[in-house]
Amino acid sequence: MLIFTLRRISLFIFTMLVLTLLSFSLSFLFPGDTVINHSGQINATASELAQLNKAYQMDKSIVNQYGAYLTHILNGDLGQSMASQSPISNEIIELLPATIELSLVALLIAMTVGIPLGFIAAIKHNKTSDHVILSLAMLGYSIPVFWLGLLAILVFSIGLGWLPSAGKISLLFEIEFITGIQFIDILLSDSPYKWQAFSNASAHIILPACVIALAPATIFIRLSRAAMIEVLATSYIRAARAKGLSFQQIIFRHAIRNALIKIIRHVGLQFANLVTIAMVTEVIFSWPGIGRWLIESIYQRDYTAIQGGLLVLSCFIFIIHILTDFIYAALNPLARGNKHGS
Amino acid sequence: MAREKIYLEEVFPSPFMQLWGIFRKTPVAMVGFCCFIFLILLAIFAPIISPYSPVDGNLDMILLPPAWHVDGNVSYLLGTDELGRDMLSRLMYGTSLTFGLSFIVVIFSLVIGVVIGSLSALTKGIKSSFLNHFLDVILSIPSLLLAIIIVAILGPGISNTVWAIAIVFIPQFIHITRYAVKEEFRKDYVLASRLDGASNFRILYYSVFPNIVERLMSQATLAQSAAILDIATLGFLGLGAQIPLPEWGAILANGLERFYIAPWTVYLPGLAILFAVVATNLVGEGIRHALKLRKEN
Repeated sequence: MLIFTLRRISLFIFTMLVLTLLSFSLSFLFPGDTVINHSGQINATASELAQLNKAYQMDKSIVNQYGAYLTHILNGDLGQSMASQSPISNEIIELLPATIELSLVALLIAMTVGIPLGFIAAIKHNKTSDHVILSLAMLGYSIPVFWLGLLAILVFSIGLGWLPSAGKISLLFEIEFITGIQFIDILLSDSPYKWQAFSNASAHIILPACVIALAPATIFIRLSRAAMIEVLATSYIRAARAKGLSFQQIIFRHAIRNALIKIIRHVGLQFANLVTIAMVTEVIFSWPGIGRWLIESIYQRDYTAIQGGLLVLSCFIFIIHILTDFIYAALNPLARGNKHGS
Repeated sequence: MAREKIYLEEVFPSPFMQLWGIFRKTPVAMVGFCCFIFLILLAIFAPIISPYSPVDGNLDMILLPPAWHVDGNVSYLLGTDELGRDMLSRLMYGTSLTFGLSFIVVIFSLVIGVVIGSLSALTKGIKSSFLNHFLDVILSIPSLLLAIIIVAILGPGISNTVWAIAIVFIPQFIHITRYAVKEEFRKDYVLASRLDGASNFRILYYSVFPNIVERLMSQATLAQSAAILDIATLGFLGLGAQIPLPEWGAILANGLERFYIAPWTVYLPGLAILFAVVATNLVGEGIRHALKLRKEN
């Protein structure tokens, strides 16, 4: 396990270096002056500019420049937003939790719907219900997410009027910013209307979360179906059957556990996919998250914000990757490395 | 009775033809394949067969509903948009932008990815390990996010979108080629031709490629369905095709303001994207299914 951890950590450091190098080089690739792209101070005076040049060591070699840039990032200084002139790290701290919240709820929905459906499809392999589930999965995988979002708004918000179509919570409720994750903030607050606020926030999250969850859910269906089919074909299942266990016992005690392990491995990769879908969905549902902020900063040509957003978002995705790797290794001894006697 | 073949010659179909034989017998895959061919033909011949121009509007015919509606006009089969542009013609032209461009993009990234991937499969040691890590990093960033970043660098526009998506898809082709080539290189038949004195490139060309081409095709269909969705999403976000261009995502974004009074300007392009992606996915599923069956035999 120690070697496994060290390997992951080295991979993490390597990835962070590549990502910072990428965002560092973006400053050169974007139009405009490099140091202004680094810092985002478009209205800097000559003396301020000289100071910035010194801070980012622009007169020295490119390696020194990269070192200075890295120091700035490690100190939590991602520069200022060109559009609003406020520090990007503050904006990200306010916006990232909303995206995390939305993606986690969507991931939860995708897993609770997708995995059981996939198991059912695998158990009824090559029967009608298998075909129906697979065709539905393919259809869900092919729907463009922005179109689905619009249809959902048209049907559930405008047509039926069941759910709100935009925002995170009704403006009537004043929730203090503590963690940024809405549900936790509501529970922590001592407002008398706590439970109304809670139900209002849940009503706001259902529609965008379901729209985001559809595509990952279909992938979970396929993954869990493949995993279950593989498990059901193994000899320990045959042994369990020979022992005289009932079908339910085999499925619940042996098959599901072993199939779930295989699925957990893929959660990290699916999460990356899910965050991208969430970015587009945030635009449609006016969700105040980092995806919408990033796309708006592209419209406004706010290069410093694009850099910071890219760095934080990919860092977040990668941390989730490594976390799932660890969970997978903790649950499955076979994944931890050398298999003795095999 | 004339016998053209005097000697009984046993013909072994190539792996690719075996695959086609199985693929042909799967009805669903064939339906998808026919739709795929239809879309390619439409993308090529759209300028000839479309009834109207995709950008010139007819101001007498604004926001006409589709022909099956009571107020519809049969000469505008799928209705018109807010400038009186024929939806059918716009969707037809859109095929060559969204579907046609995604097809070209995937072919382009496939070729580059296969070249780099097979070269890198022959390297060993630190170079190979570096490339592995680098690919892991790139592949962990979602394709749409990378495409958005590249578009942010290059600036919005359809040609920049195409470049961005082409760059984004290269790593996954490198990855799969590398993996497949390495796997094939461990097999005995490669050893046999190496014992015959074949060079690495000869082995690659004559022995390995015929055996991995289907896996590449299956990856290409996955990439294409993602490419269609990415081009359309960027068009929808206003980062891809710009205003008068009839790209499906852009048409959809354009109809957004009149969503409630003219819903057909939103649901028709969405259906078109759905149709293209489903057709591509059906072909991909067919290939994967056939691969599995061929392996079992």
